[in-house]
Amino acid sequence: MRRLRGAAAILAAGVLVLGACTGDDDDDDAGDTTTTEAPADDGGGDTGTDTGGGTGGGDGDTLAAVQDAGVLRCGTRDELPGFAVLDSAGEHVGFDADFCRVIAAAVLGDAEAVEFVDLETADRFTALQAGDIDVLVRNTTWTATRDGAEGATFLQPNFYDGQGMMVAADAGFGSLEDLAGQVVCVAGGTTTEGNVATEFSRRGLEIPEVLPFDSPDLLQVAFQEGRCDGWSSDLSQLTGLRSAYPDGPDSLVIFPDAFSKEPLAPAVADGDSQWAQVVNWAVLATIQAEEFGLTSENVDQVLAETTDPNIRQFLGEAGEDAVLDPGLGLPTDFAYQVVSQVGSYAEIYDEHITPLGLERGLNSLWTDGGMLYAPPYR
Amino acid sequence: MTTTLRAAPAATIRTWLRRNLFRNRVDGVVTVVSAAVIGTVLFRAARFVLVTGRWEVIEANLRLLMVGRFPTVHLPRVAVSLAVASLVGGFVAGIVHQRQVAAGTSVVAHLSVVARLADLVERFWPALLGAALLLSLTSTAGPWITVGGALAAGLVGRLVGARLPALTHPVVVVAAVVTPFALVAYLADAVGWDSWGGLMLNVYLAIASMILCFPLGVLAALGRRSTLPAVRWISTGYIELFRGAPLFVLLLMANVALGFFVPAGSAPGRVARAIVVFTLFTGAYMAEIVRGGLQSLPRGQAEAGRALGLSPTRVTFHIVLPQALRNVIPAQVGQLISLFKDTTLAGFAMGLFELGNISESITSQGPFRGQQLLPEVVAFVALLFWIGSYTMARESQRLERKLGVGRR
Amino acid sequence: MTEPTAPADAAPSASRPPLWRDVRILRVAFQVAVVAVIALVLGTLVGNVRANSERLGIPTGFEYLDNPAQFPIPDSDFRQAQPVRDAIGEGLGNTLRVVLLGIVVSTVLGVLVGIGRLSGNWLVRTAARIYVEILRNVPLLLLIYFSYFALALTTFPRVADAWEPLGLALFSNRGVVVPWVDGGIAPLVIGGVVAIGAAVGISRWRTAVADRTGAPAHTARYALPAMVLVLSVAWLVSGLGASIPERDGNRVTGGIRMSPEYFAIFFALVIYTASHIAEIVRGSIQAVDRGQGEAASALALSGSQRLRYVVLPQAFRIAVPPIGNQYLNLSKNSTLGAVVGYFELARVTAISVGNGAPAVPSYLLLLAIFLVLSLVLSFGVNVVNRRLALVER
Repeated sequence: MRRLRGAAAILAAGVLVLGACTGDDDDDDAGDTTTTEAPADDGGGDTGTDTGGGTGGGDGDTLAAVQDAGVLRCGTRDELPGFAVLDSAGEHVGFDADFCRVIAAAVLGDAEAVEFVDLETADRFTALQAGDIDVLVRNTTWTATRDGAEGATFLQPNFYDGQGMMVAADAGFGSLEDLAGQVVCVAGGTTTEGNVATEFSRRGLEIPEVLPFDSPDLLQVAFQEGRCDGWSSDLSQLTGLRSAYPDGPDSLVIFPDAFSKEPLAPAVADGDSQWAQVVNWAVLATIQAEEFGLTSENVDQVLAETTDPNIRQFLGEAGEDAVLDPGLGLPTDFAYQVVSQVGSYAEIYDEHITPLGLERGLNSLWTDGGMLYAPPYR
Repeated sequence: MTTTLRAAPAATIRTWLRRNLFRNRVDGVVTVVSAAVIGTVLFRAARFVLVTGRWEVIEANLRLLMVGRFPTVHLPRVAVSLAVASLVGGFVAGIVHQRQVAAGTSVVAHLSVVARLADLVERFWPALLGAALLLSLTSTAGPWITVGGALAAGLVGRLVGARLPALTHPVVVVAAVVTPFALVAYLADAVGWDSWGGLMLNVYLAIASMILCFPLGVLAALGRRSTLPAVRWISTGYIELFRGAPLFVLLLMANVALGFFVPAGSAPGRVARAIVVFTLFTGAYMAEIVRGGLQSLPRGQAEAGRALGLSPTRVTFHIVLPQALRNVIPAQVGQLISLFKDTTLAGFAMGLFELGNISESITSQGPFRGQQLLPEVVAFVALLFWIGSYTMARESQRLERKLGVGRR
Repeated sequence: MTEPTAPADAAPSASRPPLWRDVRILRVAFQVAVVAVIALVLGTLVGNVRANSERLGIPTGFEYLDNPAQFPIPDSDFRQAQPVRDAIGEGLGNTLRVVLLGIVVSTVLGVLVGIGRLSGNWLVRTAARIYVEILRNVPLLLLIYFSYFALALTTFPRVADAWEPLGLALFSNRGVVVPWVDGGIAPLVIGGVVAIGAAVGISRWRTAVADRTGAPAHTARYALPAMVLVLSVAWLVSGLGASIPERDGNRVTGGIRMSPEYFAIFFALVIYTASHIAEIVRGSIQAVDRGQGEAASALALSGSQRLRYVVLPQAFRIAVPPIGNQYLNLSKNSTLGAVVGYFELARVTAISVGNGAPAVPSYLLLLAIFLVLSLVLSFGVNVVNRRLALVER
């Protein structure tokens, strides 16, 4: 009898411990569902709370889950000038941040219904894989390995970039060749590490020592101290960092030649093609809007006055004709919401990237000799 | 022929020097060399702290360091929580004092109030100095109110607790156990704990893991000594697995690989994951410590219990465990101190906005960017940790002495 | 017809407890239940991993080890086209370099500081005490951060202004470079082994002489020159040159280099672990019976002789298990080198996962390697422990 009670006590204690373990998750969910406040709260809601909605797991699940939750969880960052930084009110501003808003405007009809999740470079794809975020818009390069082994699906690139090299102006390096065998700092866990070695061996030069750093701030400290001679990253990043350099932009020189292809594109998790198409067409809408000459200012006027059936179809307004619903799962006026609430590609680019001094270049429309070409909306 | 014994010469500076620093020639050389080395180090450190260090970065970011990005509108909740915790802590201290006086084991009962205050100051001088430093750096009224409120609440609790009737003591103990959970729920109601940061997050991680790891460790230790082979194997497997794995790697795994082990999208938030990892890790170390305590107990104790007809469970919980746990208090507190220091790893492995991680983002803010302020910030954060750990270590030594560990 | 007591040969089944109270069955049933629960939990976890990996199209096996790594490892000859398994090998090598050298240096430093804490010299005693009290209570991560950003990068001079003592070595914030032998390490290793063998042989010879004649053994006076001789012969015979570091602009060629990242993690680990070892040594010296020390003084042994011949041998017996624990901690703390970019095993794994290796198998492999490393270290410590243990009669 005593032994029975002893055994029962141990069993009960064991069950309690196991129960406590699962109880952790329950408590956490209870805690999480109280935090779906407006994200503009001192940046308080930005670090990885999941809003209790399960995402991923098959076609159609993500779109339904996002619409149910009423907010889009967008993975981004908080310290890259021009692409995604925090302003003094704690809001995310930048090129990538605006594309998060574009997708939210398309899917939910509200460009501010975005929960920005700031991710470290190493966490980008694991957050996607785990379903912590719905879409990753974080100046990420589209590569074969990331499509395959990382379980991501990349969509229409929103920025065609290349990798470049930046050195101190007084270091005496004139071109890439001078850096052979020297030391180059890069951001760790990105395509830049491998590209430096590949480029130098392609040119038949001695491969420099490549030092990866986990954060651009630590990289900057090392670069300033002379730990490395060159700083290699995407040209857009280098331009932004140079503009914010404490010793002034003129103390740095960016070599003009780009030595790799870096198409930066939003990414979603594998396994949900409907969600991938939704995000894709949201981004394409901005490009198509620029092609039609629409801006957030003139879209209402154009909609009232135009007789071009393509534009009317695109904005989801047909008058006496039937409204086009291509069956993507998006509301029929998603393009109108995108353009009126956020803007066309040109507007977004001009607001965030042009102040850094980067020309449109490859990022112009195909009609201007660039790479942006939206498939027809019909 | 008589020999007179002379009294030893009066202790002067010269004799002190001779006895402590210059006992013989080698000693003299050692003294000179060490003095040179230590002097240089001290000089450079003092210069860094007082002259060349640019401490404006700390002043400007004190709130970030203490509570992270906790919204300002909810900060009064933090002050209230600190005051309530202080109050309950004061109650418990008062009850303990009451019982000690009744049992005749109190060491301060005979001292005057001034002497008792002096004793408290001597015990907690690092914390007091740290609080004074923080208050001197702040420019708003909030921190003053918080600290003042906490101190006042603690004082009131202590005075009231010492006068509470014995019947209410169990109520107070239950309240003390429930209070941490209630306070956490109260704070999480305002802002989910995934958005906490700064010292508050470190303390929360440490305390939550401390509370959870203790029963786990005791159970695992008992399981390891169980006569049932399955239970013994499972306990041993758990203990050896988590003792052999580096904590940093476990945290990286929790950040990166945990998403695979649960159905999609239902992975718990980062803070919960960190707490689970800390609990499992510290639980394994606790299990070994408790096992050492169990082994240190003479077998006669358990045998006497059985001879009295007590069941194995009663023998374990009423006779063996209390003595075993008391014997290993220093080791347990040492492990808890390690846990407190290891909470910095959660920031670097999982991106949590705790104190160590904040140091990095502070130095990249607009006005402080690129000025190499990292040494100042890291030194300040290290000071905060040092105050916490040192106070805990000294308290544990004091507890050890009072309980007479190792002397019975 | 009732009988007050049942006869001894009553039906045997009446004296066996029913099944649900039989302790033997309960024990088995409980264990079966526990095993079933654990198996269920593990099965669910494995099933989830499989399901999630399939959904995302990520492989779950170990084939990724043959893929090219696509990231370079600084300070080594590793090329990024080499497979991931080579990268892991490099990472393991880096970890071992920190751990093995760190164990040796931290033990030496820790023992010195521990003895210093009990010294008669007030300055040494106080300095040791402050050192221990400060470093034991500070998180190691902050120490590493500090040694990298405040010491290795900023306090050390830039390459252009590097400090070159005697024109032989080079100290800068790109690393410490010292002269080294040219052309490989194998002859040195062989020479080292022979030198150690010679030293052991010489110490045996001198001890035998001392036992026989009573003259002092002076082992060190004989052994050390012999070792130096053997090493020089090995060096000359293999025709090795020396490579002296030379600076050309920003580049330094020749010699052997300790990178600032290595310095940061090594320095922080050593001073941190040494503070813990110092406390252990102090505690174990104080745990030796006071009578031993007093007896040694009564025999007119000097202070250092008392330490060396009487107290320390007994103290080490007590100290070995906790110091072994510190070695394990050191090996696990070496993973923090990832924070400053030192390419030890954890960082290699994290970067390869970031470059497309599947997360679960990579980290399981990493855990397995560390478990094996811990087992090897514990085994070594146990061997030493057993040799030192008192033989109780």
